[in-house]
Amino acid sequence: MSLLRRILTGLRSLLVGLGITGRHMVRPVVTLQYPHERPDVSHWGGPIELVTFPETGTHDCIACNACARICPSDCFDIEGVRPAGLKKMRATKFLLDFSTCSLCGLCIDVCPTDTLKYSAHYDDAAYDRALTVNDLLAPFGQDPYLTPAKTP
Amino acid sequence: MSALHGLLARLIGDFGATLLLGAGGILLYLTFNVLFLIWLERKVSAHAQRRLGPMEVGPHGALQTIADMLKLLSKQLVTPLATDRFTFLFAPILIFIPTICLASLVPLGGASAFAEMPNGLAVVVVLSGITVIAIFMAGWSSNNKYAVLGGMRSVAQVVAYEIPVLLSALAVVLIAQTLDLNEIVSGQHVPYALYEPVAALIFFIGITAETNRAPFDIPEAESELVGGFHTEYAGMRFALFFFAEYTNMLVLGCVGATLFLGGWKGPFADRWPFLGPVYLLLKGYVVVFLMMWARWTFPRLRFDQLMNFAWKLLIPVALVNLLVTAIVLQAVPLR
Repeated sequence: MSLLRRILTGLRSLLVGLGITGRHMVRPVVTLQYPHERPDVSHWGGPIELVTFPETGTHDCIACNACARICPSDCFDIEGVRPAGLKKMRATKFLLDFSTCSLCGLCIDVCPTDTLKYSAHYDDAAYDRALTVNDLLAPFGQDPYLTPAKTP
Repeated sequence: MSALHGLLARLIGDFGATLLLGAGGILLYLTFNVLFLIWLERKVSAHAQRRLGPMEVGPHGALQTIADMLKLLSKQLVTPLATDRFTFLFAPILIFIPTICLASLVPLGGASAFAEMPNGLAVVVVLSGITVIAIFMAGWSSNNKYAVLGGMRSVAQVVAYEIPVLLSALAVVLIAQTLDLNEIVSGQHVPYALYEPVAALIFFIGITAETNRAPFDIPEAESELVGGFHTEYAGMRFALFFFAEYTNMLVLGCVGATLFLGGWKGPFADRWPFLGPVYLLLKGYVVVFLMMWARWTFPRLRFDQLMNFAWKLLIPVALVNLLVTAIVLQAVPLR
């Protein structure tokens, strides 16, 4: 009888196993078809980028170098000028070497104008180390404060 | 079809035309079947693990297998040194032959099988045992220890599992009182699986083992034997073993459907004869799906467990089942 019991419990366990895989077969899949579908990563702390303020339509970097000074990895390379008729400086060069950045976020905390933030990029890739240096001013194009207005 | 047959009959004779059309049709369908089954296996495995499986080539990855085939076709054929050359090259071809012969024996519809045999079932049992010779030839001639081990395991396994398959098929023969597959189907008003659930289960386990499918896939156990008997095969020769495995699955599934699930019978199959093959293939694919489902659920058996399971459990149970069937049939004849 113990043999019969073993056969029956064995058979039952096989059916339980089939039941588990069968149940999973009819459940929705969890795979994301990556290049076609992209996950929501808005909570993600990706490479640092400059904030676009809706009031001015551009960033508010004053090239104060506070981020460059606090950065533990020395990622930043920032230059700026003071445009005529403006009290604040404007950044003319803002490079961030992402290959050394550890995403610690100290630059975001220290920024006096709150113009730095984590981006939602997550799939940056490059074949060359030089390409990992991000030009944070590139998305803004020509700075409106640096082109002297033709007519007041 | 009959017009084509008539045209060919004038050229090469009636027998030649039947042979050519039948063999051509079966080969064509089996090729399609392999492409379909490999895709299906990947889909079943994917969905059992809640993945999607192939999605990129064709709608839902339907053309993925064709892409894989093209890749395999373009690969270099490597013959290792010190192989038994003739055996090595002949094994992937030989593994196909019994399967195709089997396919021609299964009754497709109300009319008949392509090749009718009064003792069809006996021939089926004999032919399905030949595959193992090809596997052993492949393993032996490869001059590779893993391949030899895989080949020897395969022989031991098929010899062991042939017996319960035969015994469970015999139970059906006892009820049907015939070895003719066509008569077994036409006498089958209720699927024999209902009369003989134990035999059906044993037959299913047996054909899973005979096709070297998980959980009985120790001849090609990847974790122990690299690839088992096909370790040294590359490119299209390797693909031929895959072809044979999936063809075998469908054909043995169809044999099982013929014996236990009523073959080509189904609603309206008498009125519209084309429904016969459809029903048969549907039932065959249900069996194949069950085999795939089992593969992606159960872990592989250890070799001694496998042998104990066959010799100490399946064969005695099949024998007792046969005895009970005989006694019951003497007491209450079915017809």
